Amino acid sequence: MTDAADPNRLELPQGTLDLLILKALSLEPQHGWAISERIRQVSSAALQIPQGSLYPALHRLERRGWIKARWGESDNNRRAKFYELTRTGRHQLDEETDAWRRLTLAVRLVLDMR
Amino acid sequence: MINADLVSIWLSDARFRLRAVFRRAAVERELDDELRFHLDRETEKNVRAGVDRTEASRRARVAFGGVDRVKEDTRDARGVRVLEMIVRDLRYAIRGLRAHPGFTLAVVATLALGIGANTAMFGIVDRLMFRPLAYLRDPGSVNRVYLHYDFRGKPEIAHNFEYRRYLDFASDTKSFSQHAAVYTGSFAVGTGEDVRETTVAVVSASYFGFFDAHPVIGRFFNHQEDSLPAGTPVVVLGQTLWKTRYGSRTDVLGQQLQVGAMHATIIGVAPEGFNGPDPTKPATAFIPITAYAYPVDSTYYMYYHWGWAEMMVRRKPGITTTAATADLTNAYAISWTRERALDPDLPTASLAHPRVILAPMQLSRGPDAGQDAKVVLWIGGVAAIVLLIACANVANLLLGRALRRRREIAVRLALGVTRRRLMAQLLVESVLLALLGGVAGILVGQAGAGLLRTLFVPQGDAIGLIADRRTLLFAACVAIIAGVLTGLVPALHAAGEDLVTALKAGVREGTHQRSRTRSALLLAQGALSVFLLVGAALFVRSLNNVASLRLGYDVDPVLHVGRVLRGTKLSDDEKRVLSARLLDAATAIPGVEHASLTLSVPFWDTESKGFFVPGIDSVQRLGQFTVHVASQDYFATMGTRILRGRGFEATDRAGAPLVVVVSEGAASALWPGRNPIGQCMKMKSDTMPCTTVVGVAENIRQESLTDDGQRLQYYLPFEQLAPTRGSLLLRARGDSRTIAETVRRRLQPLMPGTSYITVTPMRDIVDPALASWRMGATMFTLFGVLALTLAAIGLYSVIAYDVAQRTHELGLRVALGAHASDVLRLVVKEGMRYALAGIVIGAAIALAAAPWVQPLLFGETARDPLVFAVVAAILVVVAAAASAVPGWRATRVDPSVALRTE
Repeated sequence: MTDAADPNRLELPQGTLDLLILKALSLEPQHGWAISERIRQVSSAALQIPQGSLYPALHRLERRGWIKARWGESDNNRRAKFYELTRTGRHQLDEETDAWRRLTLAVRLVLDMR
Repeated sequence: MINADLVSIWLSDARFRLRAVFRRAAVERELDDELRFHLDRETEKNVRAGVDRTEASRRARVAFGGVDRVKEDTRDARGVRVLEMIVRDLRYAIRGLRAHPGFTLAVVATLALGIGANTAMFGIVDRLMFRPLAYLRDPGSVNRVYLHYDFRGKPEIAHNFEYRRYLDFASDTKSFSQHAAVYTGSFAVGTGEDVRETTVAVVSASYFGFFDAHPVIGRFFNHQEDSLPAGTPVVVLGQTLWKTRYGSRTDVLGQQLQVGAMHATIIGVAPEGFNGPDPTKPATAFIPITAYAYPVDSTYYMYYHWGWAEMMVRRKPGITTTAATADLTNAYAISWTRERALDPDLPTASLAHPRVILAPMQLSRGPDAGQDAKVVLWIGGVAAIVLLIACANVANLLLGRALRRRREIAVRLALGVTRRRLMAQLLVESVLLALLGGVAGILVGQAGAGLLRTLFVPQGDAIGLIADRRTLLFAACVAIIAGVLTGLVPALHAAGEDLVTALKAGVREGTHQRSRTRSALLLAQGALSVFLLVGAALFVRSLNNVASLRLGYDVDPVLHVGRVLRGTKLSDDEKRVLSARLLDAATAIPGVEHASLTLSVPFWDTESKGFFVPGIDSVQRLGQFTVHVASQDYFATMGTRILRGRGFEATDRAGAPLVVVVSEGAASALWPGRNPIGQCMKMKSDTMPCTTVVGVAENIRQESLTDDGQRLQYYLPFEQLAPTRGSLLLRARGDSRTIAETVRRRLQPLMPGTSYITVTPMRDIVDPALASWRMGATMFTLFGVLALTLAAIGLYSVIAYDVAQRTHELGLRVALGAHASDVLRLVVKEGMRYALAGIVIGAAIALAAAPWVQPLLFGETARDPLVFAVVAAILVVVAAAASAVPGWRATRVDPSVALRTE
């Protein structure tokens, strides 16, 4: 089974990956694998983060200071790198969520047009 | 708040990137761990879903995509690729340089000499020409005022003029928001044992308004203290004086300090670096200009007879220099009319064309800038040439290295390193070398600065040359430019390399046609060295000509003794008695051959007074006459020859018939073709009795060494004029320096109150006039020799390299029966070709530059064939020596070894 074959899979729109990662981290610190799992589960497997772009995105966000990383114990007692939101990251999440809402609302208005 | 956020974001970004670069290994290890953890979890998930372990692991990896690509992308996301590459190149470069310490040392030393010479020269040129006065607000709107007028058909420019003129300009112009009158003079500061002759800035109270400076303690003086006519005797100390004399104590305020003839109250201390209006003469104290001028001449603010003050102005916003100049010129015309009302002898404005010139504050950039300023600029240019030569040398060395590394470079290119990366690497290497050279250069510059300072800014001993931001910044810029320049040649070379040939070629082949760039660099070095050496020789000869010039008096045996009266009120008669006593005492000093009283000293001051000659309408029109008042032994003291008639004698005393001695030039101007002896001159007015000409003396140079015949002299006997002022001239047997201390000790006790004696050898008075040639001769020679040395090293390294490359061929020649002398001739001929071409090109440059160099020379043509011949000979000898060493080594090649090397 390859991901591309799944008919319910959605292509991730450009620029939303950062938003999803920030959102996934907004509840509690997570490691990379857990982030991708959570997004898949919550979106009922419709959204699958391309795993290859997850880590570059995480490092980019860390450089921008929106998330920070520390090493900790995972649930199966292994050393894992956990990411958590910083204050600016949380702020950024609010802003991007807001922007996303306005964008989707606007798109829906246009699409609902009769 | 937003700013603080931005800063914190930027900081975290910087911290992240820095860690990524400098803790690269740790960061990479963490990434490995992180990715492995991810794959393990994904595998476990698949295992739980019921897939067997091998398949689970495979699926996990497929889902993840290529691990290496993810890693690469992650590295990109860190945003440090360029930084990382530079760090990697730096490490590589450092390893390479450490592996070849000899090469590194040669390059760094060469650059250090070039950069050091430039850094030191920059310190001088910047100070003399470009750097605005410390604390000066908006330097662009500040100008110095120069007067320009025609005198006897010749243009005259002056930056010293009358205080009255300053007042006229201040009241009759509207273009300026600020103006100040300034004067920088030498004063005896202090009393008793502590008295020192130092530079003091004499300024109007408005001067301080030009600056953003605040006194460290106390205050600057105000307009009440600088009021007409006499001001208030107050003084503001400079930092140096405050530190050295008062140990930076704050209780100096209110204390008394004697400055010249003035008992002044200390009211403040100026901040560090606030050194007065002339950067070449840092002032140790500031006094009000009115308080200084009034005791010297109480009518200074009413008449136009004493030109001494300088004027600085600040243009109002929006007023151009042109408009401001027109405004001032207009004011000058009004002022000229006023002066003419007081002095009808003054030519009319329509004849004299008085106008004003506005120029930057720095005197070296003004319209009357001396020869020195031009020479300084030339030497700055020469320093730049030395740097070019150094760069050419380094480029040559780097290129040689690049040629030796051809195969290494070709292999790396073949392995897929891009040419751009390769060039970047070579550039990083050369910039690193240049920065090392820059650091060493600053040290060299520091060492050389002492020498330069004594040459260029003799009074500026308070100036630190190197340790300031502008100079350091300059050195850094020069180093980086040098690095890029030197790195560019081998980098371009490497970029243009043809892979296949380079890989196929042995070390031996392909170097000869490739050394064209190197030949060009070598030629440039040789040519520039020739140019500098020609310049050096021209200046040395000029200096010799100037130094051996007959001034109309002797310099070395003459000693000037000045007297400064302070703390005593002497009547006119007492002053005359003092003069006489000093003269008697001086005559009695052993070692003094002759002694004389005088009112003026050549190169220091001139005095002119009106006189009349029966039968001549206006004496003024015949020339510029200066009067010298001198006692009986004057001509013997100075060594000025009497050509006809006699000098002064003991009988020429008060009450005796009035006599005058005229110079040869004056005689032929006043009585052309006639015998001057016995002619009549009437001093002051034409109703006075005749003063009879009794002798003709040779012409003297009294303002500059080149002003031959512009000034005409006549001499009146001291005893018949009986002035109250006067200083002494003594003639020593031999060098006057040897008796200077004795004279001071013997004469000082005769001085009343806190008055004192100054003793100055005539040599010190004349020497500043020689400065431009001495400067030119010293610096051109220094830099010329430096350039030649660098060029010789360059030639040597290229020839040595060629010889090493040709070991095989030379070995073959020897094997075929060539003599050692044949091999030597072969190699030296190679060096000679460079030298001869360099001589031709360099000589051509020097000839082309001749029109610009000519005005700086004295009694020497810039196309002197002897100079060119000598320089050519020097270059030939040096080139022969530089190529003979590797040539001699080539003769020692053992053919059997040489033939076996690749």
